[in-house]
Amino acid sequence: MLTTALIVVPFAAALFLWLVPLPREYAGPFAILAAVVEVGIWIRAAIRFDFSGGLQFSARHNWFADLGVSYHVGFYGFSLWLAGLTVVVCACAIGYGVWAQREHARAYFGLMLFLTGSVVGVFASQDLLLFYAFFEAMLIPLYVLVGVWGGPNRVRATVVFVIYTMVGSLLMLASIVAFGISQHTFSLVDSGTSGNDWIFLGFALAFAVKAPLFPFHGWLRQAYTEASPEVAAVLSGVVSKAAVFGFIMIVLPHFPGPVHDFRTTILVLATIGLAYGSVLAFRQPDIRGVIAYSSLAQMSLIIMGIFAYSWLGMNGAVLQSISHGLVSAAMFLLAGMVERQWGTDSFARLGGAARGRPILATLLLVTGMFTLAVPGSTNFAGEFLILAGIFPVGWGYAAVGAVAIVLAAMYTLRVISAVLHDRGGDAVTPGSPDLRFGQIVLVVPLIACLFALSVWPNAVSGHSKSPPWSNKALRTVLCEGPDGVVWCK
Amino acid sequence: MIAAAWLCLLAPVAGALAITFAGKRLTRRAAGWLSTASVFVAFGGAVVAFFAMVGRETPQRTELSTPFTWLSAGTFHVGMSILVDPVSIVMMLVVSGVGGLIVLYSIGYMDGEDEERRYFAYMAFFVFAMLLLVEGGNLLLLLVGWGLVGLASYLLIGFYHHRPEAVAAAKKAFIMNAIGDATMALGFFLLIAKTGTLEYGASFAAAPHLSSTTVNLVALGLLGGAVAKSAQLPLQTWLPDAMEGPTPVSALIHAATMVTAGVYLIVRTHPIFEQAHHVEDLAAGLGAATLVIAGLIALVQTDIKRVIAYSTMSQIGYMFLGAGLGAYANAMFHLVTHAFFKALLFLAAGIIIHHLAGEQDIRQMGGLKKFMPQTWLAFLIGSLALVGIPPFAGFWSKDALIASALARGGVFGWILLVASLFGALLTGIYTFRLFFRVFYGEPSELVLEHAGSAHGDHEHGAESAMSHSVHSHGEAPFTMALPVAILAVLSTVGGLLQVAGAWHPFGRWIAQTGAPLVEPTTSQDWVISAITVGVGLVGSWIAWAMYRTGRLAVPSVPALQRVFEHKFYFDELYDGLVSRPAQLLAERLRSDVETPYVEGALSEIGRAGGQAGGLVGRMQTGLLRVYAFAIAASLVVLGIVFLAVR
Repeated sequence: MLTTALIVVPFAAALFLWLVPLPREYAGPFAILAAVVEVGIWIRAAIRFDFSGGLQFSARHNWFADLGVSYHVGFYGFSLWLAGLTVVVCACAIGYGVWAQREHARAYFGLMLFLTGSVVGVFASQDLLLFYAFFEAMLIPLYVLVGVWGGPNRVRATVVFVIYTMVGSLLMLASIVAFGISQHTFSLVDSGTSGNDWIFLGFALAFAVKAPLFPFHGWLRQAYTEASPEVAAVLSGVVSKAAVFGFIMIVLPHFPGPVHDFRTTILVLATIGLAYGSVLAFRQPDIRGVIAYSSLAQMSLIIMGIFAYSWLGMNGAVLQSISHGLVSAAMFLLAGMVERQWGTDSFARLGGAARGRPILATLLLVTGMFTLAVPGSTNFAGEFLILAGIFPVGWGYAAVGAVAIVLAAMYTLRVISAVLHDRGGDAVTPGSPDLRFGQIVLVVPLIACLFALSVWPNAVSGHSKSPPWSNKALRTVLCEGPDGVVWCK
Repeated sequence: MIAAAWLCLLAPVAGALAITFAGKRLTRRAAGWLSTASVFVAFGGAVVAFFAMVGRETPQRTELSTPFTWLSAGTFHVGMSILVDPVSIVMMLVVSGVGGLIVLYSIGYMDGEDEERRYFAYMAFFVFAMLLLVEGGNLLLLLVGWGLVGLASYLLIGFYHHRPEAVAAAKKAFIMNAIGDATMALGFFLLIAKTGTLEYGASFAAAPHLSSTTVNLVALGLLGGAVAKSAQLPLQTWLPDAMEGPTPVSALIHAATMVTAGVYLIVRTHPIFEQAHHVEDLAAGLGAATLVIAGLIALVQTDIKRVIAYSTMSQIGYMFLGAGLGAYANAMFHLVTHAFFKALLFLAAGIIIHHLAGEQDIRQMGGLKKFMPQTWLAFLIGSLALVGIPPFAGFWSKDALIASALARGGVFGWILLVASLFGALLTGIYTFRLFFRVFYGEPSELVLEHAGSAHGDHEHGAESAMSHSVHSHGEAPFTMALPVAILAVLSTVGGLLQVAGAWHPFGRWIAQTGAPLVEPTTSQDWVISAITVGVGLVGSWIAWAMYRTGRLAVPSVPALQRVFEHKFYFDELYDGLVSRPAQLLAERLRSDVETPYVEGALSEIGRAGGQAGGLVGRMQTGLLRVYAFAIAASLVVLGIVFLAVR
């Protein structure tokens, strides 16, 4: 029931907004209310969740019984955390939309809520067709949100984004159909494994575009810089994690053979993406560009962790997904506030903003420190686990990861000093005020979550059970490291 | 004991948080006192823990407390644990004790600064991070503390954030330390892969069973972290630039505590280093090289803080030398005495800088003895301790280290011995060059202008916004004078913790955690002491001969001078080798790969998409037709929405 409620509440709220002619000024507050209720439902689910168990809060109803399609939803430990990330980030993004007073409020907030519901639906799906439906449902509002409420080049950004994701989706659909027919069911719980490389590649490509994985990130910079900040926050923070879910939930358990064969390819692409994103982030001319490429690097790192085949890598990947989702959302919202205040997020025109604005300075500095994964932060804990997990696979991967740690410090400190420090930029008008209460409350929940997870990252890393691997060989690889170190209990 | 240790750890962070959240509700002065109080509470905790420890038998003196699991995955667990043992308690006492004095001093020094509250929050946060580093109960928490002190150091070096030099210096320090963090992390990954744990006990127990390649690589990773944090070759270039921070910061972070963390790391992980002989030798060798090179550079520096900074690098070189040789107690002993006398020198220098309205160039100083007799005395004590003249603290500790090199023996031991004696000579020269240049000779115009009479507002020099009169209390206000006086006393008598051949409580105390690998005999000790004092006196005499008139700032040997002034060209080397190529790579990737291929791939994909569309059209399964319809429908909807809301 709780899972269904978590999916239905935002959809219902979206429909309400679209259908009921509510006065415009009530649309925003109503959306916030719905988002907060959603967070409440998630907290209730998390309290009652047994993190040592498997699939929970599941609900199953036949849909097309003859095709083996069912409405089957539920959560594993790891997907519950992803859903939690979604509801928190979306609530903050909706709040930002209210603060920024988006036009066509009913349409806008309806789309945001629809997006929230679809992403939660993706993370709860236990049936492939249902997963596909939510996956597509997630993209439609994104197209509109970027295409209508975006920046000056929004149409081009949207077209690129649509083409990339459509190609990915079509390939995935073909794979889903082929896989479902060969298994006689679309249920992720009942279906077995497949050794078909083509079906695997269809899924892998769709997720590689979504994450994105190098070199499938052509849409990334435009979408992240042209979307409005709160949409970019959801896109990079939450929607990209659909790829994480897909890899952990669909690809790893159901395609052990192809995963084994293509693993090195994926790891090499992820390693390139990590280095490439970090290096490019270092020379971007504006805040959003840096966050975009840093997201590419972070998602590469997460995929590296998933394909490390060890509990260190896997749990690290889940922890890092949550940490990265929170921090990139916070960063995008802050970038949006800077843009709104001074009309630009270009480093050439910013600078010296810390003087007289302690709150902006503190929030940006703290978020920056999480971005560069300062030791002790939850982002550090995630990175550490992932790289420790990948090290036995090949020290070269971890070495590139270590270089990326240094590069992350370089590009993040560049952002901080270019915005806050040095001499004043021409866009930073001396009298312009510090952040106000209405802005602080949008970012502080994200930062508070980051702090809480930094005190106890094990809340995620030690409580993120994923679906069982049916293939015994894969389990052995996963559980036994080199030199006889055993990772599984 | 353990409760006191937790109090010690948590009090400063509570102080930092309180100051942060109170914001403007707290007056600047109250923020200063709150910060000071929180650090002194930590010191109280450390003292209580120390006496509790003294009251126990040796085996019970080590205690590990783990309230909860911080991080886990599979069978890999890392506890949020603290370890209190004879080594960590020494560090706790030094960090919180000297730290408390320096924060107290800051109340006077930073009085009137714009963003005083931020300063005091950072200082308390630093003390917390440093205590976490020394109390952390496993290697991962040590790395966490390691990174957080780096963060605090970054924040405080860049405290004057409107000055581009300060911002650049802060970034440089953070990035060089991140390199060290990264090598340390790599060492840890290897250790996890081979042993499955980062617990001190378990990994130390496993160390002897690891292959020699493995253990050497792990030790090398640790050493990478240590040289970055302690500004040893080849990652030393950030420390002199770090002097852009306020002077008390230089005293606390870049002299007394953080930069000595590398020495603590080697002592703490000595069971790993002991299995990796080559890396141990490398540590000692790097220490020797650093102490000589830093000593040479110090000869030509003209900024009072930079001279002391190079002297810090040089003295930490001695500690690395000792730690690499396995003379753990002697290295720790020098760490403690160095914390006293180096903090003293920095704080005394801070009083001078304060007095001269932010002037740090020693060429602008001279003849200050007449105007600042108390500071003169403090500086003299610090200088004598630094050079190692009996009975001051540095004499007892430095000589013990040099004697360890003699005890090591062999060609390598002799090389280290010669290098450290040469370093002692250089110490004598640069220390008293500074001393004579600042306090003797004819007073400069600047000195006369500022020190001649009581004065109201100054021109703002490098350290801005000190426009307030401090002279109603003599040379410095009470909050500044008291810490200097206490440190002066400690620099005078602190060496008596250990007297070679007669009295070894400190050595025995540290040996409970790490038994020394080399121990000089009493005769070796005394011979070395005699030679070292002689060398130090010669150095001081050279300085006297050259600088007592206070006119000459730098001897003129142009070729050498240029090399020294360019700090052996390390900055230029790294710039050409790392920074520029990295920036070039980023530009080229963007212009030659990202824009034409990745982002330009769209046209390619457009064409491929067209072909795929034809392919899909031929696959006439029902579901696909439905999907094509759905896509078409959603595009129509999309179009309508586009039109409707525009």
